[in-house]
Amino acid sequence: MSASAVFILDVKGKPLISRNYKGDVPMSKIEHFMPLLVQREEEGALTPLLSYGEVHFLWIKHSNLYLVATTLKNANASLVYSFLYKTVEVFCEYFKELEEESIRDNFVIVYELLDELMDFGFPQTTDSKILQEYITQQSNKLETGKSRVPPTVTNAVSWRSEGIKYKKNEVFIDVIESVNLLVNANGSVLLSEIVGTIKLKVFLSGMPELRLGLNDRVLFELTGRSKNKSVELEDVKFHQCVRLSRFDNDRTISFIPPDGDFELMSYRLSTQVKPLIWIESVIEKFSHSRVEIMVKAKGQFKKQSVANGVEISVPVPSDADSPRFKTSVGSAKYVPEKNVVIWSIKSFPGGKEYLMRAHFGLPSVEKEEVEGRPPIGVKFEIPYFTVSGIQVRYMKIIEKSGYQALPWVRYITQSGDYQLRTS
Amino acid sequence: MSQKKRQKPVVWVEQILLKMLPHQDEEEPASYRGSSGSCPGTVRKMPYLGSEDVVKELKKALCNPHIQADRLRYRNVIQRVIRYMTQGLDMSGVFMEMVKASATVDIVQKKLVYLYMCTYAPLKPDLALLAINTLCKDCSDPNPMVRGLALRSMCSLRMPGVQEYIQQPILNGLRDKASYVRRVAVLGCAKMHNLHGDSEVDGALVNELYSLLRDQDPIVVVNCLRSLEEILKQEGGIVINKPIAHHLLNRMSKLDQWGQAEVLNFLLRYQPRSEEELFDILNLLDSFLKSGSPGVVMGATKLFLILAKKFPHVQTDVLVRVKGPLLAACSSESRELCFVALCHVRQILHSLPGHFSSHYKKFFCSYSEPHYIKLQKVEVLCELVNDENVQQVLEELRGYCTDVSADFAQAAIFAIGSIARTYTDQCVQILTELLGLRQEHITTVVVQTFRDLVWLCPQCTEAVCQALPGCEENIQDSEGKQALIWLLGVHGERIPNAPYVLEDFVENVKSETFPAVKMELLTALLRLFLSRPAECQDMLGRLLYYCIEEEKDMAVRDRGLFYYRLLLVGIDEVKRILCSPKSDPTLGLLEDPAERPVNSWASDFNTLVPVYGKSRWATISKCHGAERCGPELPKTSSFAASGPLIPEENKERVQEVPDSGALMLVPNLQLTADYFEKTWLSLKVAHQQVLPWQGEFHPDTLQMALQVVNIQTIAMSRAGARPWKAYLSAQDDTGCLFLTELLWKPENSEMQISVKQNETRTETLKSFISVLETVIGTIEEIKS
Repeated sequence: MSASAVFILDVKGKPLISRNYKGDVPMSKIEHFMPLLVQREEEGALTPLLSYGEVHFLWIKHSNLYLVATTLKNANASLVYSFLYKTVEVFCEYFKELEEESIRDNFVIVYELLDELMDFGFPQTTDSKILQEYITQQSNKLETGKSRVPPTVTNAVSWRSEGIKYKKNEVFIDVIESVNLLVNANGSVLLSEIVGTIKLKVFLSGMPELRLGLNDRVLFELTGRSKNKSVELEDVKFHQCVRLSRFDNDRTISFIPPDGDFELMSYRLSTQVKPLIWIESVIEKFSHSRVEIMVKAKGQFKKQSVANGVEISVPVPSDADSPRFKTSVGSAKYVPEKNVVIWSIKSFPGGKEYLMRAHFGLPSVEKEEVEGRPPIGVKFEIPYFTVSGIQVRYMKIIEKSGYQALPWVRYITQSGDYQLRTS
Repeated sequence: MSQKKRQKPVVWVEQILLKMLPHQDEEEPASYRGSSGSCPGTVRKMPYLGSEDVVKELKKALCNPHIQADRLRYRNVIQRVIRYMTQGLDMSGVFMEMVKASATVDIVQKKLVYLYMCTYAPLKPDLALLAINTLCKDCSDPNPMVRGLALRSMCSLRMPGVQEYIQQPILNGLRDKASYVRRVAVLGCAKMHNLHGDSEVDGALVNELYSLLRDQDPIVVVNCLRSLEEILKQEGGIVINKPIAHHLLNRMSKLDQWGQAEVLNFLLRYQPRSEEELFDILNLLDSFLKSGSPGVVMGATKLFLILAKKFPHVQTDVLVRVKGPLLAACSSESRELCFVALCHVRQILHSLPGHFSSHYKKFFCSYSEPHYIKLQKVEVLCELVNDENVQQVLEELRGYCTDVSADFAQAAIFAIGSIARTYTDQCVQILTELLGLRQEHITTVVVQTFRDLVWLCPQCTEAVCQALPGCEENIQDSEGKQALIWLLGVHGERIPNAPYVLEDFVENVKSETFPAVKMELLTALLRLFLSRPAECQDMLGRLLYYCIEEEKDMAVRDRGLFYYRLLLVGIDEVKRILCSPKSDPTLGLLEDPAERPVNSWASDFNTLVPVYGKSRWATISKCHGAERCGPELPKTSSFAASGPLIPEENKERVQEVPDSGALMLVPNLQLTADYFEKTWLSLKVAHQQVLPWQGEFHPDTLQMALQVVNIQTIAMSRAGARPWKAYLSAQDDTGCLFLTELLWKPENSEMQISVKQNETRTETLKSFISVLETVIGTIEEIKS
C-alpha cells in the first residue's frame, strides 16, 4: 500500500489537519471529496472508496470526523482501511476520544503522531504503546534536550521493551465471549455465532515466556485426551507475539507478551447454541389511536448463572406519545430520540421468564413517510460463564530471573450483535 | 477563539504572554479565552482580513529577544504559527524567523519548525536552503531521534537544488547505528530519487539498499523493498531473486502486519524454480492465510493464487481455507473492511459459484448496516443460491423488498429477478405478490424484471401475463412504463385488456415527457395491431397522426414515419419486419459467461479493481488516461516533428477537439482519386483563403496531422516541389463532402486553401475551415 496523503476532515469536509506524505497529489484535491461524497449519497451509491480523476479517496468516518487517505495507485484497500483504523486507535489512546475538539486542542501531538505513523506513504511505527514511549502528552513540559530513544524502536522484540520491573508479578486473563444472534420475525434463528477473545493484562518484569493451555479439541485429540470436555475453536487469530509455527505444529500457544493490556487471541464458533435470552414480542399497531407492546424475555441458560445489566430495546413508531409501562421486573423507559423503549433488568437469573407491557398513543393524523422495522436489541453480560465451555487449563510463566507470578482468570459471556426482527 | 486571537494587537499579546506563568503554557488558548472575555473593550478587526497582520505580529514576537530567551514563550509563538498554518493561513512570511527557531534543544520545537519548513519550502526555496545547515548539523546529533527527524524533514523538503545537500546525510544515515535513523534514510533514498525526476539510477546506492535487505530491523528491511521499488520503477521495480525471496520468507514472522502485507506483495514477482520449492513456500506461508489482519490474509491469498496458477486444485484449496477469515472479515466491525471483503467474496463466487452457499446466512442484512454493505450482500446472496438454500434466501430477500429505502428494496427485487432465471416459478410468484402492494417504486422494478424474464425464460410468460393487469396504475417512471408497454405489445394477445391499457397511454401521449416511452408505445401498438387489429386500428391511426404531425422529438417522429411507410407497403411486410424470429436466449449471449477461471482475476485480487467492480474500474482508469493527456493539449507540444506525431493515447482526445462545433468528420473515408477528380471538377469553390506560411515545410507531418482529424490526403506533390500542392478530402456524418486543395507558394510565404462542398452548408463549412486552420496553424507553430 501507499498513501499519498492523509487528511482529517470535520463533518463539513473542511480539513482540520493533514499530512502530505508523498507529494504526488496536490493537496487541494481534497476539496472534491465532500461534494463527491454528498453526490454519491444522494444517488444512493455511496461507497468507502471514491475517485476523482486519477485520485482515489479511501475514507472512514469516526464520530464527527472523516479520515481520508488519497492515493494514485491501485492500492490494497483493506490495508489502507486498516491503517486508518489504526490511526484512529492510536489517537483514541492519546486523547481518550477522537473528535474535532481533541484534534484542535492537540494539533502538535497529532502532527508528531502522523509523522511517526507513516513515512513517504508507508506505515512505520503504529503500535501505540511504543509511540507512547517517545511521544508523550507531557511533551509540552520542557525536556532537557536529551530525550532518549526508547529501546523498543530498535528492539528485536518490537512489542516489548527491555528492563520492565514490577514489584508484584501478575497476569490477568479475561476470556470474553460475545454472542451474535439474528432471529427472523417468525422466530427462526437465522444466525448464531460466538466470537471469543482472550485479553491479557500483563504486569510482569523482564522478558517472560508465557504458555497458555486451553481445552482445545484439536490439542486434546493430538494428545489422546479426547474424552475430556473440549472446545473446537475455529478461525483462531493471534496477536503478533504468538509463535504461529509452534501453534501450527503442536497447538502450543507460547509468546513473550507486550506490557499491559492486549488482545492475545480471538476465535469464532458457529456451533448452534440456544439463544441465551429469548424474546417473544407482540407489537400491535392500531392506526390513529395506539400501539400496544407485549414483550416476554426468557433466560435460557443455567439456573446458577445470572445475566447482569440486561437491556432490551423495543422499537416504537416515531410519532408515538404518552407512554405507559407495566413490568414484572426491572424498569422500562421511553427514549424518544432513538424511538425505543428500553427495558432494563439488573439481574436476570437463568430459567426465569419476565414480562413487559407498554402502551403508546398515536396521533390521529398519520405522518407521511413510511418507517422501517427496526429489530429488538438485547444487551447483557453473564459473568463466570462461557457459552462455548472454553477453559484456561494453565498459564505457565517462565522468566530467567525465576520469579513467581500469579495468573488470574475471569470468564464473561456478553451480547454482541444480538437482534430479533419484528414483523 | 482562534479568530479572536488573531485580532488582538501586538501589545496585547505581549501583555498576555508576560502574564502567563511558565508551566501554564499549554493552557495558552484557555488563558486567551479568559482574557478576551474580561477585556470586552479591546479593539477588534474584521476576522480573516489580515493574515498579514497576524504574520507581522508573529514575526515581531519571534524576533523579540525577550521571547527568544524564554523557551516556553518562544515555543508558544511557534505553536501559534503552526496552528495558523494548519488552519490554512499563509504563514510563509515568517520563514526566516522560523529557520532561526530550529536551532534549539527542544525536540518538539524542532519538530514543529521542520514541519513548517517542509510545508513552505516549495514556496521559499531560496530561504529554505538556509535551513539546510541546521538540518545537516542535526543529522549528526548524538540523539538518534533528532538525527532521524532531521533527515526525514530534509528529504521531504521537495524543492529543487536540495538533492546535493541531502546525499551525504542519507549515505551516513544508511550506516547509522540506530535503526530509527536507518529506516528514515532508506526511504530518504526514494525521496531523493523522486526529487531528481527521472534521472539516472545511482548504482552504488541501489547496491547499498540491496545489502540493507539483510538489516536486523524489520522495518528497515521492508522500507528497503519499498524504496528500491520506487527507485527502480523505470526498470520494472525491484528484482526478487531466490536468495532475497528466501531471506524475506524467513523474516516474515518478525514483521508487523504492514510489513507482512508488503512482503507478500513483493513475493508475487518471484518465480519458484521447481514445484518442490513452490510447495515449500506455500507451506511456509500457510499460517498467514489465517492472520488476524485482513490485509495480510488478502495478500497471502493473492500470493497463493498467483504462485499456484498452474495448479487449479491448489487454488481451490486455498480459497476453501480462506473462507473462514474472509467470512470473519465480512462481519468485521469496520464496515469498510467488511465492504472490501464482500467485494472479494463476489469475485470468488464468479469462479466458484457454490463456494459460500452453506454460509448464506452470513450474508443476511442487519437493520443498521450501511447501504453499500446491504447492496453487496444482496448481490452475494443471488450469486450463491442453490437448491438447498433457495427457499430461505428468497424468503429473506422478499423481506428486503418492502424495506423503507426504495433503492435497497429495488435492489432486492432485481436480485429475485436474477434468481428467477434458475428458480422461475417461486420467484415469479413472489414478484407477483409484490405487485399487490401497489407501491410505485416496487411495481416499476417488478415489471422491468418481468420484461427481462419472459425473454430469458419464456415458460413464465403465462404467469407474467396474468400478473400484469392493473400494474399501469402504479407506474410513473420511464423505465417502468417502457417495460410495461413492451410486455403489452409483445404478449398482448394473452392479456385481455392490453389494448385498453395502451389506449390510455395513447390518450395521454401529449403529456408524456419521455421520448423513449413514446417510441416503445409506437412499436408495441403496431405489434398488438398485428395480433388484435380490430381493437387497435383506430388508436394506432391516432398515435401515428400525432407522432408525425405534432411530435417535436425527431427520433419519435422518424419512427412514426417509418412505421407509417411500412404499413403502406402492406401488412405482410410489417409482419416480416416486426415479428421476424428473435435471437435465441438459450444461446447464452446475455447470460454471464458461466464460470470464469480463477486466473482471470487472480492478478486483480486485493487491489482496488474488485472494490470498484471491473466495469467501473475500466471507466476510471480510462478517464485517468484522458486526464493525463488533457492539460497538455492546448500547447499541442506533442506534435514533435521527429517522433510519432501524436502519442497513441492522445489520438482519441485530439479527434475530439475539432468536434466542439456541429461538425463530425467520418473516420476512414475511402475515396478513389478518380472519384475525387470528377467531383472536384464538377463543383465550384465554396471558400478560398490564404494562410501565412514561413520557411520550410514537411508534407509528412502535415499529412499525419490531418489524418488525426479525419481529413484524408488524396494526392500531394513530392517534398521539395515548388509550388507544392495537395488534395484533401473529408466527409461529415451527414454525408457532406469537403474537397480541399492546398497550394503552397514559397515565394509568397503563404498557403492557399480552396474548399469545395457537394452540398451548400455554410455552418459546417465554417467549422471545417476552422479545423483545417487549427491543424495548419499548429504545424506552422511547431516548425517555428
